[in-house]
Formats: sequence, structure tokens, C-alpha cells
Amino acid sequence: MKEIAELAIDVAVSSGATYADCRVVQRGIQALTVKDGRFAAVSSFEDEGMGIRAIVDGAWGFASVDRLDSDSLGDAARLACRIARASARLRRQPVRLAPAPVVTGGYVTPMERDPFEVTLGEKMDLLIRADEAMGAVAGVTTHEASLEFVREHRFFASSEGSLVDQVIVESGGGMDATATSDDDVQTRSFPNSFGRHQLCAGYEAVAAMDLAGNASRIAAEAVALLSAPPCPTGRMTVILDGTQAALQVHESCGHPTELDRVRGDEAAYAGTSFLTPDLLGRFHYGSEQVTITADATTPGGLGTYGWDDEGVAAQRTVLVDRGVFRGYMSSRETAADYGWTSSGAMRAESWNRIPLIRMTNVNLEPGESSLEEMIAGTEHGVYLETNRSWSIDDRRLNFQFGTQNGWEIRDGKRLRLVKNALYAGRTPEFWRSCDAVAGPAEWRPWGVVNCGKGQPGQVIHVGHGAAPCRFRRVSVTASS
Amino acid sequence: MSPASPDDLLALADAILERVGRDVAEVTVVQHEEALTRFARNQIHQNVAASSRRVRLRLMGDERVGVAEIRGEVDDLQGRLIAAAEAARELAPAGDVTPLPRPDAGSDGPVAHSPATALCTPEWRAGQVGTVAAVSAVAGFEAFGALQTSLTHTAIANSQGVRRHAASTSASLICVARGENGWGYADRHHHDIGRLDAEQVAQEAVETCGRNQQATALDPGVYPVVLSPYAVADLVGHLADLGFSALAHQEHRSFMRPGERLMSQLVSIADDASHPDAMPFPFDDEGVSTRGVSCIEEGVCRSFLHDSATALREDVPSTGHALPMPNTFGPWARHLVVTAGESSLDDLIAACDHGLYVTRLWYVRDVHPLRTVITGMTRDGTFLIENGRLGRPVRDLRFTQSIVDALSDVRGAGRERSIELDESERALLVPALGLGSFTFTS
Repeated sequence: MKEIAELAIDVAVSSGATYADCRVVQRGIQALTVKDGRFAAVSSFEDEGMGIRAIVDGAWGFASVDRLDSDSLGDAARLACRIARASARLRRQPVRLAPAPVVTGGYVTPMERDPFEVTLGEKMDLLIRADEAMGAVAGVTTHEASLEFVREHRFFASSEGSLVDQVIVESGGGMDATATSDDDVQTRSFPNSFGRHQLCAGYEAVAAMDLAGNASRIAAEAVALLSAPPCPTGRMTVILDGTQAALQVHESCGHPTELDRVRGDEAAYAGTSFLTPDLLGRFHYGSEQVTITADATTPGGLGTYGWDDEGVAAQRTVLVDRGVFRGYMSSRETAADYGWTSSGAMRAESWNRIPLIRMTNVNLEPGESSLEEMIAGTEHGVYLETNRSWSIDDRRLNFQFGTQNGWEIRDGKRLRLVKNALYAGRTPEFWRSCDAVAGPAEWRPWGVVNCGKGQPGQVIHVGHGAAPCRFRRVSVTASS
Repeated sequence: MSPASPDDLLALADAILERVGRDVAEVTVVQHEEALTRFARNQIHQNVAASSRRVRLRLMGDERVGVAEIRGEVDDLQGRLIAAAEAARELAPAGDVTPLPRPDAGSDGPVAHSPATALCTPEWRAGQVGTVAAVSAVAGFEAFGALQTSLTHTAIANSQGVRRHAASTSASLICVARGENGWGYADRHHHDIGRLDAEQVAQEAVETCGRNQQATALDPGVYPVVLSPYAVADLVGHLADLGFSALAHQEHRSFMRPGERLMSQLVSIADDASHPDAMPFPFDDEGVSTRGVSCIEEGVCRSFLHDSATALREDVPSTGHALPMPNTFGPWARHLVVTAGESSLDDLIAACDHGLYVTRLWYVRDVHPLRTVITGMTRDGTFLIENGRLGRPVRDLRFTQSIVDALSDVRGAGRERSIELDESERALLVPALGLGSFTFTS
């Protein structure tokens, strides 16, 4: 890989690049699915290629190729420089990069059990047990369980001399049970919706999920939701479980603290941000209970690595400190606009995409409460579990989320199951209404595997440490 | 990047099938070249090209199926692919395995393909973006967006004798114009980049932006609306995903009730992969010819889309709407065509006494799939309609609305249609629509 990267960079520099970096990536994915006790599929995916980014005449060009012979590498490097020259025709200010140390090093995801060393038979047995347990619950219409494992070997080199070699391993799994009636469809997922929960970890992460042990419960909940009453409507206290808190952080804090959105780089697609730099240090984003960090060093986090795709070391950045807006996730280019250094958040989906500012592990730091205490301290409200729908405007202010499960709370007690819950609000008002976050015992890293951004589109895996948290006077409705 | 030839791709597929030596294998080879020039603040800020080939093998036998896919020209591609697929097949538990399709009588055309798109250069793209930036700058605005081109060769062969190949192209120009206090949007998509008029796109975005300055708040509520084709595409794409698939019907998740009228007589929606203006493509991911399917006919629910698996369950032929098999997602609409009406856009607005014109929807997500309830935001130009005329701009609003309910009260449909690509890059040919009521919730 080193030779491939250095060859491509040499060609780019000799073709006029004042800066070039190259990523060589080999990725393997193994996916297993069992559905309804009769459908089963095992798939493997291998991927290999190289992408090179070059600055020529003060503008960016990028080219990628899946043929790693010297001719193809040279062609790609020259194409990147040609594209950069075309870009320069419509560039008023030359690209500036914030300084970054020249680095050499390696990183491997810590794990107890390499998922690619575990037999397919053991993995399939786990899925079959979970699928069978869901199917044994009367009233369940369809049920599905799946696992996914990823091993990505990335080599990064830059014309400044950085050389970084990393192996990132991810393990994920999940299941869904769906129950239907003539006029309703209800689904319960575990441990998270959107197919699975995933971590940068070995097979131990999947084993710890205990899919089979939770299968009957979630299937029974799906059936019970069919006859459950709709969620009560009005202004009330809302307690979010860790998975929904993670998505709330993702949409309403993660995306608006991406500095490229603030510059307008994503304005035509993903949008911009209400968190403009003039608000740094003085804007009350949330209550004192709310501290949010972007931490690429979180153990097990799905956004954990050694260096980002610009060769900047993984680090912890405070985004919101006890309610006050304090920082952004940034790149070398965006940080240079403000005289800062990069926060090390540049990530590419694969070798054929340029790195963009992406979330690492954007964590709601643990508080001092507990779910039990939060429920006990609630006169009238709902406890909401597992995302069902999510939407937010292009500045990340006006949001509406729905959850699969809701539990009505009265006088400090969790009462009946309710369905079709929706809650809505505006980001700062919502986070300012947060009066409790559960402590470290209930805090854990969650993985989001479907974060989309950029043109061409890139889907990337990000992490969110979160625990149950409580919000007062939130607008709650039920979808009819 | 060097273009692939159909013979090369099919020869690779044939070689793998021969080496597999079984009568239950399918090989898919996709060579994809793409380029995209992205601009912000009237400057190019990202500019990329990518070239890749992926080869996929589906291997069946003993009621088991294994799949392997390799992207990249790795050493001993054929051997690694076969070994991985065989290992997966051997360890998969026995279950329902849908037989491979046999050759059908479909032809390898029509296909959305343009040599001009395939040969587009970074310099040409920069020139077009320069045109957009110049139009925007003259108006005192900043332009943001992307110009994208792609060329895809797809070859599918299986051991039952299916051998298909097609080369398709796609070109898209998306433009957002930003003024001091508001935005405007326009896009064009076509397989022939020569059909994208950069100046026209920029002018439309600039004009909307010019009207959309100093928007003021409007109380949420139920309003009649005129939706531009951009917004209609989002609505129709979600409707299709919520019910047109035979798998959704078989699993009791679909809103469709065949033979029942659920929508206005003005609503007819088909999936038509042969329509020349809907990015035509002749076959699905199993190599089955894609047939036109009328899903909604004058408001009445009609037929579902099938792949081989759903077709087998109902003992009917596949309609050629498969995604790569096997999968748990089911058949998918890729060429949605909404029948045009007789109105101009001005007619639709003139027919509305008091309502809203919506340029674009954003972040649309399903809230209650069976009831086709979705939520999302308006974006880049929402205007009050007063006494049949376009009035003041209003701030973006959130809507939460059943699509079926919205389409049950259609006041008029545009006679002009445009090609749109939705979030999943599926093609839709859609008109503007005037709807009697649409619920805005915040």
C-alpha cells in the first residue's frame, strides 16, 4: 500500500500539485440475514482501490481508481491534477490548509474476538435462535435478524510526508418483529432501528447484545402495539431512551456543528447550520445538564479511529459545554478560515470518495440521574423508545421524531404502552428544557450506520454515546 | 478512464459461470464511471471522478444460497469470488431459494444513453458551472450546486441462459441561489447532458430566489397547495415505496387495495422503464425484462411490482423489478411516470384562492407507512397564493400529511412534466399538482 500511495503522490507532485494525499483502502464486509424462518442469505463483499486528492493552481481535484497497477495509478493522479486545473478556473481564493503535524503510525481497532475468525455456523446459529424466538410469538407477521462485520484496511500518505496505516473492525447486529392488522402495522426493533446496532469492536459486541434473549419481548411488544392506545397529546414531559437520545444528538447537534455546513459547502444538498461562528462561547444551546463532545477516541465508538482521512490525529472536541455552544468538527481547510487547527473529523465513505467533515462519536456526556429517578420525578409524560421516523430542516432547527414504543407516565409511575408517538420542537428550546441525563451506568455508545451527506452521496458510520434523558414541556402528538 | 465493452463484461461473466461449473449461478458485472463538479458561493469547491468495476456472484444449490461481490481488480478475482460465494452457500441454512429466471423475449432497449454524457470532460463541466455562477452573480446572488455525469455498463448472465447488457448514462444539474434573505432552487436531469441548459437552470433558481426574500411566518394549518414537480417527485416516490411492491402487499404492509378508488381520478401512476423521458432501462437486477405496470389508474389501485420471489408466491410472471437477489426488501419502482394533466402552472395557481405554492420538499420521512403519513419541510421557496396569484414568501413550514389523502383531492395537474431524481436517484416523470388540502404542522 505504501508503494502505491507514494507512486500516486509522486505523479501528482510532478504534474503540478502543491499538495496531494492518497488513500489506499481494502475493505471486507460479511452480512448474514435470516427472515421468517425460511429465508437465509450469507453475503461477502470485498473492495479495493485508491483515491488521490490534489491541489493545483490553488484548487482541489480528486480521482479514484480500482486498478492498482502503476499505469492506472499514474493516470488517476494526472486526472486529479487536470480536474484541479479545471476547478481553478472558477476559484477566487486559493485553498489554504491549517497546519498539521507530519505523522507516521498505525492503529488497529481493539477487540477481544476477531469477527472474521468466528465461524459462519456460529453466527447463523445466533440469528436462527433469535428469528425462531420472534416467530414463536402469536400475532407476529414477519421477523428478521441480521449481522454485519466490516474490516477496513486504510493507508494514508500525503505529500507533506505523513504515513498512516489503520485497520478498523466493526461488528453489528439487530432484529425487527412486525405485527399487522387490517388497519395497522407496528414494528419493534432491537437493539436499535434501521437494521442494526454497530460498534468498532470484535464479535464480543454482538454476543453482548443477546439478540435471542430479547427476541420474544420485542415480538410481544410489536403485537401489543396493535391494540395499544395512541400516545397522549399535548405539552408534557418526555424521557428519551439512549437510542432515541443518540439520534436526537445526531440530527440536532452533530450535523449543525459540522463546519463545512457553516461555510455553505453543503448548502445545495444537506443544508447549512443555525450555529454560526459568532455564537461561539455565548449561545445557550441547552441547559446546564447538556455537555456534548465529538470524541474519535471513545472506546468501541463507531466513529473511533487513530487518524482521520487527512492524517490528523483522533481527538476530543467540546461542542457544547454545560449548555454553552463551544466548538465545531472541522477539516484542515475549514479550520484555516478561522485560524484554527483541524478537529480531525475528515472521513470518506471509501477510496472512491473525497473526505468530508463527518461526525466521529458525538456524545451526550453522562449526567447524574437515572431512568428510574427520571420516571419517579415525572407527574405527566411519556417514556419513548427506539426511533421510528425522523426529520429536521436544512438549518437543523425544526425537528419532528417518532418512536416505536411509548410508555405513558403518571404520578411518577410507568403505566400503559402507547403507540404512534411523535414529538416536535426547535433545537435550542428543546435542549434548554433538558433537566436530567442518566449517569455512566446507563450511558453507552450507539452506532448509526446510515448517515448520509455530500454529492456524490456518502453513507458513513458514526457513533453517539448517550443515556436516557428528560425534557420538560415538549409538544407530543400521535400520528393518526 | 477506459470505457468497458459489452463483450468484455459478458465474457467475464461467462468465464465465471464456466468456472463455477454448476447450473445455478448468476453473475453481474457493473462498470461505473462518474464525475461530479460541485460549487458553492459561485466557486468550484469539490471536483471528483471515480472509476470502478464490481462483480457479483449468486450461487445456489441444496436449497441454499451464497453471494459474493468484489469491487476492484484484485488478484485472482474469479477464484476469490467463487470461493467466497461457495463458502457462504455451504454454511447457509436451507430455506426458500427462488429459482434463477430463464431468458425472456425482452430486448436490450430502449436505454438512456448519450455519447455526449459519456465523454463529458472536467473542463466542460467547469464551463457550465461558470455559466451558472455568472447568471447568479449578475443577480447579486451566490450559487451552490453540482453538475454530475455518469456512464454505467451493466451485464448479467446466469446458468439458465440469461445474457443481458446495457450501457446507460445520466446527467444532473442542481442549483440553489442564495440572496441576503432567502434561497431559490432549480434542477434538471436527463441522460443527455446536451439537454441540460445551465443558463435556464440558473435563471429559474435566481428568479425563485429573487421572489423568496424576507419571508415572513405563516400560521400552521390546512391549506390548498400547488406543488412544483420537484415536490411532487418526493410525494410520489414515497407513495411507491409504501405500497407498490408485491412484497409489501404479501406482508400486509401496503396501503394498496386493488380495485378500490383511493385517490382522485386525475391520479394515474405507472412504473414504465421504456418511457423515453424516464431514464429508460430494459431489465432488472436478475436480467428479467422490465414491464410497464399501472399501479394507480385514475385513482384506482391496480397492480403490484414483482421480482422472481414475489411472483413465485403468487404464481405470476415477474414484472422485472428485482433488486439484487436475494434480498428482504422486495421489488422496487425505478421509473415512475405520473400522467400529465391539462393545466399550465399559472392555471393551477389561478385556480387557488388562498393557499401555498411549494417549490421543494426536504427531509421527507415516513411516519405511518400503512396510512402513507409522511413528514418533512418545505425549502427554497414557499409562497402564499392569494386570489389566484403568487404572493409573499413565507418561512419554511413542516408538514405531516397522508399522501393518499392529499392525492384524493387533486384540483389540477400540469400538462408539462419534468424528470426528477429522488434521494435514491430513481427517475420520476412528474407534473405540478394542485391539491385541495395539505396539513402544515409547525
